[in-house]
Formats: sequence, C-alpha cells, structure tokens
Amino acid sequence: MRLWKVAVLVNLALALGVGWGYVWWGRRAEQLSRELEAAQTAPAGEREWRVRGVVRAILPEINLIVLTHEELRGFMPSMTMGFRAASPKIYEGISVGDEVRFTVRGIPPNVAVTAIDKEKG
Amino acid sequence: MSSVATLSIGVRFIHLLASVALVGAAGMLLLAGPSDRPTAIRWEARVLRSIRGLVIVALASGVGALLLQTAEFAGRPHAALEPAMLGRALLATHAGIVWLARMGLLLLLAVFAFMRVHVASKLDWVAGRGELLLLAGGAAALVSFSGHAIAVTPGTAGAVLNDALHVLATGLWFGGLPPLAMLLHAAGRDGGEDARAYAVLAARRFSRLALVLVIALVATGVVNAVIEIGSVAGLLGTTHGRLLLGKLALLVPILALAAVNRSRTLPALSGPGEAVGRPAMRRLARSVAIEAVLLVALLGVVAVITVTPPALHVEPTWPFPFRFTYAALAEMPALRIRAVIAGQIAVLGVVAVIASALMRRHRWPVLAGGVVLVAVGAGVALPPLTVGAYPSTFRRPAVSYQASSIAAGGEIFRERCAGCHGITGTGNGPGGRGLERLPADLHSAHTDLHTAGDLFWWISRGIPGSRMPAFAGQLSADDRWDVVNFIRALAAADAVQKLGPTVEPERPWLVAPDFTFSVGPAAPRSLKDYRGRRIVLLVLYSWPASKPRLAELARAYDSMAMLGGEIVAVPLDASPEAIRRIGTEPRILFPIVTDGADEIVQTYRLFGVDGHAEFLIDRQGYLRARWTAPTPAMRDVNLLLAEIQQLNQEKPSVPEAAEHVH
Repeated sequence: MRLWKVAVLVNLALALGVGWGYVWWGRRAEQLSRELEAAQTAPAGEREWRVRGVVRAILPEINLIVLTHEELRGFMPSMTMGFRAASPKIYEGISVGDEVRFTVRGIPPNVAVTAIDKEKG
Repeated sequence: MSSVATLSIGVRFIHLLASVALVGAAGMLLLAGPSDRPTAIRWEARVLRSIRGLVIVALASGVGALLLQTAEFAGRPHAALEPAMLGRALLATHAGIVWLARMGLLLLLAVFAFMRVHVASKLDWVAGRGELLLLAGGAAALVSFSGHAIAVTPGTAGAVLNDALHVLATGLWFGGLPPLAMLLHAAGRDGGEDARAYAVLAARRFSRLALVLVIALVATGVVNAVIEIGSVAGLLGTTHGRLLLGKLALLVPILALAAVNRSRTLPALSGPGEAVGRPAMRRLARSVAIEAVLLVALLGVVAVITVTPPALHVEPTWPFPFRFTYAALAEMPALRIRAVIAGQIAVLGVVAVIASALMRRHRWPVLAGGVVLVAVGAGVALPPLTVGAYPSTFRRPAVSYQASSIAAGGEIFRERCAGCHGITGTGNGPGGRGLERLPADLHSAHTDLHTAGDLFWWISRGIPGSRMPAFAGQLSADDRWDVVNFIRALAAADAVQKLGPTVEPERPWLVAPDFTFSVGPAAPRSLKDYRGRRIVLLVLYSWPASKPRLAELARAYDSMAMLGGEIVAVPLDASPEAIRRIGTEPRILFPIVTDGADEIVQTYRLFGVDGHAEFLIDRQGYLRARWTAPTPAMRDVNLLLAEIQQLNQEKPSVPEAAEHVH
C-alpha cells in the first residue's frame, strides 16, 4: 500500500476514535445524570419527615401554620414556609417563637403537619 | 525532597525533552522538504534514526514517569510495582487517562517511524513526514491536559488550549534546532557541497518560522503567566514565579543568539562560496547547537515548574523591603502630575528602545537615548510611589473578613491594643502618651496605603524604633488576622459615614462584612449565600421602639421578595427569644436572627449604629445605602422598593466583593 493511503487511514481511524469516544462519553454522562436524578427523586407515594423548626405565625382561620424549618430531605430546603395542619388540635399549646419538632406527612407537594411538639429547654 | 520525587523530576525532564524534540524533528524534515542530494538524503536518514531513538526514549521515560508518580502518590516506592495501584492510577485518574492517550499516540508514532515502506512519490513523502509531525504534535499537546492549565477555573478550556499552543510552539522551535545544526554541519563539511543550497533554504525557512514561533511563545507564555501567577507578588514571591523568572533569564541569551543568527549569519550564508558562505554555515551550525543546549537547560526548569504548585495557590513572600503603589500619591496630590509626566517619559524611553532594535541607522544613539529616558523617568516617578513592604505584604488574610472574625479581633484589640491605640483606635490611649513616636491613628487615611499583610507583619513582629510590641509569641496567626480584620472594619467605619440614605447608581465601593446567622433550629446561612441571588436589607432593630417600622417592612415584604429582596432582621440586644418577644403582631415572616446576632451587632455597631439602622447590600456583596434614625421616620418603604428596583437594573460593574483587602 502507498504510504499516503496508510497515513490517511490512520488519521481517519484516529478521528473516528476520538469522535466515537466523545459521543460515548456524552451518552454516558447523560445516563449517569439520569441515574443520579432517579436516585435523588424520592419514590412515589406517601412520605414523612420529622424536623425541627420555629413557629413564625399561626393562622387557624385559613388553616395554616408558618414555620422556619430545617431541610425536608428530598423535598424542600431549609426555609420559612406555611403548612396545612392535619387537624385543629395542632394549634393547641404552641405560640409564635416556640422552637418545635414537627412531623410533615403526605404525597409531595400535598403535605400537612400531623404532629408538633415543643422542644424542651 | 525524597529520592523518589527527585528521580521523578529527572524522568519527567527526559520525557518532556524527548516529546517536544520529536515535534521539532518531524517539523524540520517537513520544512526542509525532499531532496535527491546524497548529503541531504544521509541527513534525512540520520534525523529519522534520531526520531526512532527519541520515540523509544519518550515511551520508556513515559512508563518510568508513571511508575514513579504512582509510587509518589501512594507514598511508598513498592506501589509502583503493584498492578492494582497502577490500574487505579491509570484508569481512575484524569492524569492516567491522558497518559494512556499520549502513549497510544507515541506507539503509533513508533510504528510509523520504524515502518520500512517504499516512498514512491512526493505525496507519500509528505504524508509520511506529516503523519510523524501530527502524531508527535498530538502527544506533546496532550501534556497540557494534565498540567497546571487543567487546574485553572473558570476558563479551563482556554487555559488548556493556550498551554497546548505554547507546548507545540516550543516543540517546533526547540526540536527543530538539533536537526538544523546537523544539516548545517553536514553541508558545511568537505564533501557536503551538494546539499549547501538545500541547507541554506532550510535555514531560511526555519528562521522565518522561528520568528512566528517565538512571538507565539511569548504571547502564550504571557497569557499562561497571567492565568497561573496573576500578580507581581506571585511572580517575585513564590517558587513558581521565581522559576519562571529563571526560565526567562535563560531565554534572553537564546533570543540574543537567534537574533544575531537572523540578522548577521543568515545573510552571510549566500555569500561567495568557500570564503564567506562556508565559514558562515559552520558558525551557524555551532550557534544553533548552543541555542539547543541552552534550551535543554530551559526545559529542565520547565520540568521543575511542572511539579511546583501554581503561584496562584501559594501565599507569596515578598522579597523586597519596598514596593510601588499609585495609592501613595493620595497624600501628596502635588506629586501626581510629576509622577504622570515622568511615567510618560519612561514610556517614551521604552518606545525608543524598541524602535532602536528595528532601526538600521542611528541604532546606538537612539538606544542610549531610550535608556537614559527610562532611567530619568523611573528615577523621578518611582521615589514618591515607594512605600515600605514586608515578606507578608501580599499575603491574603487566612481568616475571611466576616463579623465573627471582626468581633473576635475587637475583643483582642480592647485587651491588648487599646491601651496605647485607644478604645476606638485613634491612637490616644493612656499608654501612648509621652512616647517619642506616638501610636498610630488607625483611622487616618494613611491606613489605606497598607495591605492586610503589612498590618499582619507589624502585629506579628512589632515596629522597630517604636514601642509597638511583637505579638507573634502571644497570639495565634488566626487571632492576629482577626485583629487585622477588625482594623479593616475600623477603616470601613470611617468610609461608611460617606454612605448616604440613597443608592448611588453604579457605584459599589464598600464591602459589607460577611456574617453567619440562623433562625431557630433552621440551617445557618451567611450573607454570602445571597450573592448573585438576593439584595439584602439588613435591619438592626431595638424592641419595642422599632415595632412600627418592622410592621411597615412586614407589610412590604411580599413586594420586596417579588423584586428579589430579602430582609434579615437582627435584634440589637441579640436576644435568642427575639421571635417570641415580637409575638403575633406584627406578623413577621422574614428571618429574625436568633443565633449569631451578637457578632453582627458588634461589627455593624462600628458603623456608627446606636439605635435602629438599615443597610442595603447589593447582589455583589457591597453596602449601597444606610439609614440610621432614632425611630420611625425611616426611609419610605416605597422609596426603598424603588431603590431595590434600581439595583436590579444595574449591571454588575465590579467583581464580587473579595475577601482580602486591596
């Protein structure tokens, strides 16, 4: 075979190899990010969190309790947020400024506070 | 340095040398072109033989470098011989993958170099030599993918490309020199007459290419230096920077030799045969060989640089007892014009020096004139710009400029420094009275002249000839940086007086000290978390005096949030019960700091705050407006919203507030 043909073939092979590697890596990265996303999104169905927070407002007239709370893992970062109360009993015995430990249950984003307890101390 | 590390540098040096030499050797063959002269054919065969040798050296030293690096990373020499460790080093690290790719290209290059094929036409010849160049160039350029350039963020791609160009230009230039010297030597010998014209042509082509390459090398080199070193302090004060200076020092004689060759020897090559041409050719061969040897030394420095941490990641140690800064003129406005004029004279001198290099007539007088101008300009301009400097002058504070550090620094200041410098730092403490040299007034404009590193030095080592003691033995380095941050906040406290109640458009200049806070048990946040996201209104309030104002802000909170604003309210008494105390009325939903308020209050108290105060902090982390008032006649909330909207429309004109001073 003539040398120039060999050179052309080798370069072609190199270019194909690099191109293939580039595409393969792109697909692999895509697949990895899909897997990561799947691992991060919670399984469907009802979930429950128990976290700490501080009561900022109590609004029984619209059935809402506002809490500055810790992260609800896999659902919501730490923030100030109004939650529906599962029953009117939730409002009993707590007041604005109380540090509490509370339970949130439901199928995101449809969740409600099902229990709330004052932190000791 | 361990013996493994030393050996590693040596092997890397050989590998680097062989890799770049391959590029140039293949390039030189292509540049000189095919010839039917026996001497030229013999030369080409020799260059091909040396390419074979080089590729074997490159492959062997590449394997050696890998083994040594594995041993170095694992921390024990035996690791180099363990298949598991080698496998990890190769497949699980970025450098390993790059290494595999480079070795693959080099192997392919070896196949090409050793292949004995019949070259039937010029096309074949060009294809064969071109392939050698392509493979060698690819292998050399890949070096950039595992060097310092890959660690540059952001802008990795640009840095890598720039570095790859630098490596390729080095290869073509440096690697071309030995084959050129061989050709000139062969053609200059008795019996080499047949290839003389060929050699002259090759030398001319190489000279033209080399000019382009040197310009490319300097340009990419400067870009590299700016990216990886970034400052004069980095250049003069770190190992990496000094090695680069050493590299430049080696480059000067090489470039001088090249210039002489280009302007003197090269034209003489076409002189009349035996009398002029041949001696010139021998001279050129010698000079080119010397250039090549100097370049080997230069590449030795490069090999050491590749294993030195980049200057940008190292705290520089300033080598001189002085530095130049334009800020020195702030106190002497009269000298400013003098400095500017003298600077222009010096620039004119530099222009004259450059022009003299390009002139044929009057070269020496112009050069001398230029040098005199530079000397005069520098002599007049520089003395007023000179201020004292210390090894730590350009060190970045090890503790960032934030409320906790400033508060801690204030504590130490009151305990150790206030005796002489006064509680507020004006230099009027009882201990300082009657001293020959009065304690510094830390509020004077003069303080701006000094870097955080200067202050750190004085606090650590004291000031000779004064009563300022050294605290290095008594305070930890972090404590001393806290004091530096406190002094910086004192200066900011003076500056903050100039900050008005309305935002000055497009003029951010005063950095807001960072702080960390939490609301109840929620995760702690810092001011910095809002960078690039929210405009923050920091409200320092007293209860119950601030009640009407807080109610007003609470009502406007929705609108403010919609405009991208956030309110952070800090009780001046730092009570952890702040939220409970406010109770249900007014209904406040923005963060009320229950943890961390103490430090925020201590720091922002320096800014002349007694009662209720509000600070508007833009997305870049700069303080933009300040309201202090006894009670409720604060800024109209609608005007406040308008100011936030104004900040929203501003394009960021300055970099994000940095953590270090100046």
